[in-house]
Amino acid sequence: MKRRFPLLLVFFFGLLGIIPYFVPHGGYQDFDNALRNDFIRILSAFAIILGLVSLLRVHQDKIKRKRENWQYSYVLIIGFVVSGAIGLFGGIEGELFLPTKIAGFQFDIQTLYLNIIVPLGATMFALLAFFMASASYRAFRARSLESSLLLSAAFIIMIGVLPLADSISSHLPSFAQWIMDIPNVAAKRGITFGIALGGIATSLKIILGIERSWLGGKE
Amino acid sequence: MKIIEYLSRLDRRIIYLVLATVVMVPLVIPTVPRVRVMTPVEKLFNAVEAIPNDQILMLDFDYDPQTLPEIEPMGVAMLRHAFHRRTKVAVLSLYVQPLGLAKKALDQVTEEFNSRATSYEDSIIYGRDYVFLGWQPPPIVPLLGMGISIVDVYQRDYYGYRTDSLPMMQRVKNFNDVGILVSLSGATAPLWWIAYSQTRFGVAVGAGITAVSASEFYQYYQTGQFSGLMIGMKGAAEYEEMVQSRLSITSRRKASEALGSLTAAHLTMIAFIVVGNIGYFIRKRKEKGVQR
Repeated sequence: MKRRFPLLLVFFFGLLGIIPYFVPHGGYQDFDNALRNDFIRILSAFAIILGLVSLLRVHQDKIKRKRENWQYSYVLIIGFVVSGAIGLFGGIEGELFLPTKIAGFQFDIQTLYLNIIVPLGATMFALLAFFMASASYRAFRARSLESSLLLSAAFIIMIGVLPLADSISSHLPSFAQWIMDIPNVAAKRGITFGIALGGIATSLKIILGIERSWLGGKE
Repeated sequence: MKIIEYLSRLDRRIIYLVLATVVMVPLVIPTVPRVRVMTPVEKLFNAVEAIPNDQILMLDFDYDPQTLPEIEPMGVAMLRHAFHRRTKVAVLSLYVQPLGLAKKALDQVTEEFNSRATSYEDSIIYGRDYVFLGWQPPPIVPLLGMGISIVDVYQRDYYGYRTDSLPMMQRVKNFNDVGILVSLSGATAPLWWIAYSQTRFGVAVGAGITAVSASEFYQYYQTGQFSGLMIGMKGAAEYEEMVQSRLSITSRRKASEALGSLTAAHLTMIAFIVVGNIGYFIRKRKEKGVQR
């Protein structure tokens, strides 16, 4: 029963997800709408709480057992509690009862987001450009016909998307566009068909209970 | 020969330094180059231009700080376009993180328009000209639910107002009232709008995406599932160009200003790859000579 019940649930709700695409009857569509708007949202709210509690427990455990880099878990927990309290009781821009401004120093959730999360995220991503430059300098070699073709296409696209491409040749931007429109689409469409067919097959196997690895544990 | 060999074994710190310099200099001295507008962006612009008076533009802000420099100018340019032609706008996010960025873009553009407005009618008013629907998890709920009823999915907006009390939402019921939905994303959100909302409810979808993920999206553009595409910084600059040249809006063009950096970075990377390859072939030739 421990394994059969989740399988039955997946089968039942899997079918419920498919049927509305094939049954346009108003009654069923209403039912589908209610299921999505109410039931999934409630489930999702529980999932968020579960996720947050789980995250806190993992880091609490890390601190308790002094695992590698356990000090950073304090940063996470403090950040979690402080931003949670400011967001819940101070509002987006300090419109709730918790004061979010002390002598010109503002710390409402929007200010914190724009001044901490945004620069940190942008910095992390900007670093990628440096690694990419270094990696392409070392690894992007015309070792074979295929890699030479790839290299040529990359150069055409890289120059073709620049404003100066027009001054080199008026055909260059159009050629870069052609590479994206035709050879790129041909390859990507083949891959997408493969992925889609694989996705359908795997979904059916899960709904029908043939694929059970998601249950975890032994068969 | 020794110079080429030296250049082909450059220390990575020199690469970092050169790249940082060529990226920063054009940002310090920004110039706006003339940009040739490509068909995917022109189509998107025309699709927004063709929105009838009784329909709205729906903007899905789904980018995060990592992709902000590429995507935010797209959002800003589209908001300017819509507000200029008095098309009503509904803004939402499928995830929680972009909400702050969506608010920032909205605040910036409404401030731009309102600082020039001479009357209440001229101004951009919340609830009358635009709404910020916010975030409703999980994404499947708005993706499918808005085909039936937008106010049922977003019962309260980002600021906590009841959406059915907002004047604009009195005549906006579901996707039938959306002229085009444009998803601005650093990931695959635009494909979800195609897979779920367009397939089932037929809503027109456009996308603003990062340059690195562009190849994923062209197949859907070619089939007409995307009404138009903006790709990367260049796509954003093209839209800015159209907004300026067609609508005579002369506000700051951040993507166009960044094209100098983009050009310098691309050319530097190409130069590094070429030098790296020359060094590779010289070494290969030498090794062959030794073997003989």
